[in-house]
Amino acid sequence: MTYLVTLISAIVVNNFVLTYFVGICPFIGVSKKIDSALSMGIAVTFVMTITAIVTWIINHYVLIAFGLPFLEYVSYIVVIASLVQFVEMFIKKTSPALYKTLGIFLPLITTNCAILFVALIQAMRNLGFIESVVQGFGAGVGFTLAIVIMAGIREQLEVADIPKPFRGAAITLITAGILALAFMGFSGLTSA
Amino acid sequence: MIITAAVLMGAIGLFFAIFLVFANSKFAVETDPKLDRVEGALPGVNCGGCGYASCALYAEAIVEKDEDLNLCVVGGAQTTKDVARVMGVQVSGEQKEKLVAVVFCQGDNEASKFPGVYKGIEDCAAAIYSQDVSKRCKYGCVGMGSCVKSCPFDAIHLSEGGIPFVDAEKCTACGNCVRACPRDLIELHPVSHNSFVYCKSQDPGPVARKVCSKACIACQICVKAAAKDENAEAVTMNNNLAVVTPEPYAAKPEYGAKCPTSAYASGVNSIRKAEVLGYAPLGGEPMTDATGAVDATETGEAVAATNESTEG
Repeated sequence: MTYLVTLISAIVVNNFVLTYFVGICPFIGVSKKIDSALSMGIAVTFVMTITAIVTWIINHYVLIAFGLPFLEYVSYIVVIASLVQFVEMFIKKTSPALYKTLGIFLPLITTNCAILFVALIQAMRNLGFIESVVQGFGAGVGFTLAIVIMAGIREQLEVADIPKPFRGAAITLITAGILALAFMGFSGLTSA
Repeated sequence: MIITAAVLMGAIGLFFAIFLVFANSKFAVETDPKLDRVEGALPGVNCGGCGYASCALYAEAIVEKDEDLNLCVVGGAQTTKDVARVMGVQVSGEQKEKLVAVVFCQGDNEASKFPGVYKGIEDCAAAIYSQDVSKRCKYGCVGMGSCVKSCPFDAIHLSEGGIPFVDAEKCTACGNCVRACPRDLIELHPVSHNSFVYCKSQDPGPVARKVCSKACIACQICVKAAAKDENAEAVTMNNNLAVVTPEPYAAKPEYGAKCPTSAYASGVNSIRKAEVLGYAPLGGEPMTDATGAVDATETGEAVAATNESTEG
């Protein structure tokens, strides 16, 4: 039950993009088409889950064990960069089609702050292992949800008659803001 | 403390380095080294002009399926040579002459009065469907700029009169605008061919004259001028329209000297001609500006179009 609450909390209530406003760059950058948004979301979910596993292990068995919690940021970045590299190799070997679809988005995940946030928030909240993995996965699903909704809206906006001053980035940011307001409606659903 | 921290970070780094080295050899994908080098020799703009969706796919076709080396219209002769060097073969045959997009309509907002205000989707095909507000000429440009949006090279723009004109230097003949035009007004022609009948109207003369002051009215003056020059095949009549024969191209600018509507003209819709005609590009900046004289929204669209084409 707790895990379910954690999952739902990560997906909708504390949606990383729309509540914490991390990972905004891919959210804006890769949300032009639903297809590419979905692949981006899946790639991020994949990396987030693995990151949650590895950083939890590093945090508990290396950083805390040696009494060096201040190395959090540095070590997590190393971990994330290596993991993304590994995931890239793995996908290139196992599924060239997926590798082509994801293209440049895959290495770009390295610089996605939402991934680092997954690692940091589990240390901050002192989550257990399974809980932090669930949270990492949920955060990824939440990211996918947000970016796909955004891409859907932007595909519609493409054919809308938008007043000239609002075209382009302006309407995109306004849309993101309204979307964030809508997600505020979920707050209070869980206490986590 | 400092030493522990340093050693620890070093250890983590080393661990992941070894892990990645191991993973790299384990998950290594065997690729033909030629593939990377051929792809490097191609321009990498992924325009699709060669018939493949991306430069990478074209490189693959060259290496694995012995595809022709001279298909890249963007890089031209130089790219063909570079690719040939990588593949270790001699270039056979001539490089094709550079093609540019030519817009076969001169019906701008002045010549072909716009009967209504169109406020729908900014897309040519959409404008044509809502028949009552597109221009009266059934064959002409509707000026919604679908071709402009399709251009990844910022080479085609709308004049103030709402007619696209092509920057011959930037145009790579990738053919995106040709496909984008719902009325098939854009064709690719060698850059040295510059005299054409810039009209596609098949309306009978009186009707054509009524809907557009620059339409071909089928008076045959240019056809007769060509015949007099013992060059009868250069311009022919076809469905109320004088057509310059593209192959073999033999038209001369003089044939259009007496054209009453100046439908037969030379170099229209190229960027230089646009200047001569006094079209100011949108935004009013000088057209010769190297960065591309377009106003902010148009640049935005062009960039967006580029992004889309690379994403897709």
